[in-house]
Amino acid sequence: MPMPQEEVLDKVRETLVDALGVDEEEVTPEATLTGDLGAESIDFLDIVFRLEKAFSIKIPPGDLFPDNILNNPQFVENGKLTQAGLATLKQSMPHVDFSEFQADPDVNRMPELFKVQTIVNYVQNKVNG
Amino acid sequence: MRRRVVITGMGCVTPLGHDVNSTWEALLRGDSGMAPVTIFNASTFPASFCAEVKNFQLPQPLAAGGKHQHAGRHTRFTLAAAMEAWQASGLGESGHFDPDRTGMYLGSGEGSLDFDNFTSLLVDAWAGNRLNTVRWGELAFGRMNVHRETEQEGNMVVAHLAAEFGLRGPAFNSLTACAASTQAVGEASLLIRRGDAEAMLSGGAHSMIHPYGVTGFTRLTALSTRNDQMQTASRPFDMTRDGFVLGEGASILILEEYELARRRGAKMLAEVIGYGSSADAFRITDQDPQGEGAAAGMRAALADAGVGIDQIDYISAHGTSTAQNDSVETMGIKAVFGQRAYQVPVSSMKGSIGHLIAAAGATEMITCVLALRDQVIPPTANYRVPDPECDLDYVPNQPRKAKLETVMSNSFGFGGQNDTLIIRRI
Repeated sequence: MPMPQEEVLDKVRETLVDALGVDEEEVTPEATLTGDLGAESIDFLDIVFRLEKAFSIKIPPGDLFPDNILNNPQFVENGKLTQAGLATLKQSMPHVDFSEFQADPDVNRMPELFKVQTIVNYVQNKVNG
Repeated sequence: MRRRVVITGMGCVTPLGHDVNSTWEALLRGDSGMAPVTIFNASTFPASFCAEVKNFQLPQPLAAGGKHQHAGRHTRFTLAAAMEAWQASGLGESGHFDPDRTGMYLGSGEGSLDFDNFTSLLVDAWAGNRLNTVRWGELAFGRMNVHRETEQEGNMVVAHLAAEFGLRGPAFNSLTACAASTQAVGEASLLIRRGDAEAMLSGGAHSMIHPYGVTGFTRLTALSTRNDQMQTASRPFDMTRDGFVLGEGASILILEEYELARRRGAKMLAEVIGYGSSADAFRITDQDPQGEGAAAGMRAALADAGVGIDQIDYISAHGTSTAQNDSVETMGIKAVFGQRAYQVPVSSMKGSIGHLIAAAGATEMITCVLALRDQVIPPTANYRVPDPECDLDYVPNQPRKAKLETVMSNSFGFGGQNDTLIIRRI
């Protein structure tokens, strides 16, 4: 039986409260992990670790959060993602909503792509196949 | 003329209380911080009691916002101690606070390991007589906690303080065992004297009350095993002493350049006038039996302060309640002070509070400042049976009113590390 979205959100919220020390009310679907919830680099490792445990899933490196796309000169030019970079990201990360970002694919704006909803989408794809 | 360094704020979290006043009052009453270990089940350990910080939670606003969500136990103590000291000093709100010229020098011990996960990995990857690193690799990355790995580094307490208070000045941490936070206060003072900073958060933090820490001290036979008399187990300078009682905690002092404190009208609590550091040049776990290393540190501090032995009104001893430390320290004091040693009161607060390891020296420095403020010497608790090798005036069991202008504080650590500070009333 597929896991309903509400249940996924509840468990993701619980995970983020433990990982980031934020209040439950702050963890809304639209909250960004870096900007709104104060996550730093080590927290992304911790979040992946906790999600694997909470949902009994395996999350390969670079699957939920991108790991080294910014190191590829074909994908980044003048501080912006190239069309090739954007296409690669979109293909490998169907859980991320790129609709606003693609108008101005500034790499500094990439953290805004990762919201609570992004994690919920990812986990849903994963557990519900 | 050299720059002067004053203390303008203090804070602590100790086995006797969660702030300066409650700790000081408990010390003067001769309360005991000792109780059975609750952090883990130590019922089969030779010493099943210790001096834990009790019922501690990170106070608001430090707990809000998740900045310190994964901070180690000793870091949490330090944040609370630093908040108390910082607010008492008033520096942050004074209009004279320069973040780039305000630094940190702590004597903070290492954090605790990710002990349970580490142990379970060893069990699962153990191949009879050696570690199977292939199996380890299959398991470790999914099991070890990334935060615990980072937070156990020695400089992490400094990092949390910097982030909390917005301090961008010099950032140091000394890891010189039980002498660490006395050394930190001394070195922080030197930074201000040199002009490298105009204010420093200094002090120390440590918590070794975990299976690994207690095992280490047990193997060294350093701990008192008087489980049936835990309240009186720590008895510095007493003939029947059988080891120290492991404590934990954090203490922070705000050090400022005198002119800054004067300009902003800060309340000056005491002046740091002398600091000496020395090595025993002897053995790792034995002190120089003549106390020559300890004496060298005390002499260096006196020379730095430019005061003679006649001007020292009180000595806050390292006084751990181990057979060796207390007699060697006594010998060191006699080597420096000669006949004067018999006239200077010497006391150790470890009878009440236990041994806070890296945090011990800074906690004792706070009590020295309070001794100057209140003109009272805190007692050596649980002193009953005189030891012919320890024949000084140890201020037994009762606080004593005294005229105090200048006091000395000693800290010694494994490896033969000796540090001494001298402060003066201002």
